[in-house]
Amino acid sequence: MSNASTFIHERLTASGDTTELERIRQFVQDKAREFGFSEQGIHKIALAVDEACSNLIRHSYHLDDTREFFIDIHPQDDEALVIEILDNGTAFDPLTVPAPDLKQYAAQHRKGGFGVHIIRMVMDAVEYFPAEAAQQMNRLKLVKKLS
Amino acid sequence: MSKFSLEQKTNGSTEVFYLKGFLDAHTAPELESAIAGAIAAGNHRLVVNFNDLEYISSAGLGVFMVFIEEVRASGGDIKLTAMKQKVYTVFDLLGFPMLFDITDKEEEALAKFAA
Repeated sequence: MSNASTFIHERLTASGDTTELERIRQFVQDKAREFGFSEQGIHKIALAVDEACSNLIRHSYHLDDTREFFIDIHPQDDEALVIEILDNGTAFDPLTVPAPDLKQYAAQHRKGGFGVHIIRMVMDAVEYFPAEAAQQMNRLKLVKKLS
Repeated sequence: MSKFSLEQKTNGSTEVFYLKGFLDAHTAPELESAIAGAIAAGNHRLVVNFNDLEYISSAGLGVFMVFIEEVRASGGDIKLTAMKQKVYTVFDLLGFPMLFDITDKEEEALAKFAA
C-alpha cells in the first residue's frame, strides 16, 4: 500500500565526500519505505542512488567536500518514486556508458564502470538533463515504480 | 563513521577475510588494501566470507575485479562465500557468478582449494 500522501517533496543536501553515502542511502531508504516499497525495492533504490552519488563524488567532485549536491525525492501519481540528483559539476551523461564486459574488465584489472549498469538495471527509468546555463544544475532523474 | 570492519584469519594455506557491515565507495579501500597486503605477502588462496556483510555497492565488487586475474595467474583464486541474498543480488546483476567461484558455505570454498 502506498503512503504517498505522507510526503510531497524532500531534499537532502550532501557534500563531495564518500562518508556521505551512508546518510544518502538512509535518507532514500526511509522515503522508499514510507512510500510503500518492499525491502527488495528499497534496496534497489538505495543501491542506484548510492552508485550515482559515488560516481558524482569521485569522478565529478573529485572528493572535494566543500562542494554540494542535492538529492530530491518525490512521489509521481502515487505509483512511482522519483529521485533526482542535482549537481554543478561537469556534465556527464551516464547513459552513454556501454555495458561492461566482465572478462575484459578483469583482464584489465578495472574496478570501476559498473555503477551505471546497475542503475539502469534496477530502475524503471533513467534520464539525464545536463545544465544548459550557468545557473542551472545537471539533473539525473531516476524513477522506480511501486509495482 | 565507517560501518565496515574486516577480520583476517589464516586457515592452512588459505587466507580468509570476514567482512562485516556496509561495503561502499567509502569503505572499499580498506578491503582493497587488506587483500593487496595478503597478495604481497605471497598468499594467493583467498576466501572472502560475506556472512556478516549487510550491503555492497559496485565499489566493493570492483575490489575483486582488481585482483582476480593476478591471483589466478599465480595458481590461486579469490573464492566468495556465505552471501546474504541482498548482497548476492548485486553480484548477480553484473554477471559475477560467471567469473567468480561463489559458494554457500565457507567449508565448501576451503575444500575446493584443498582438492
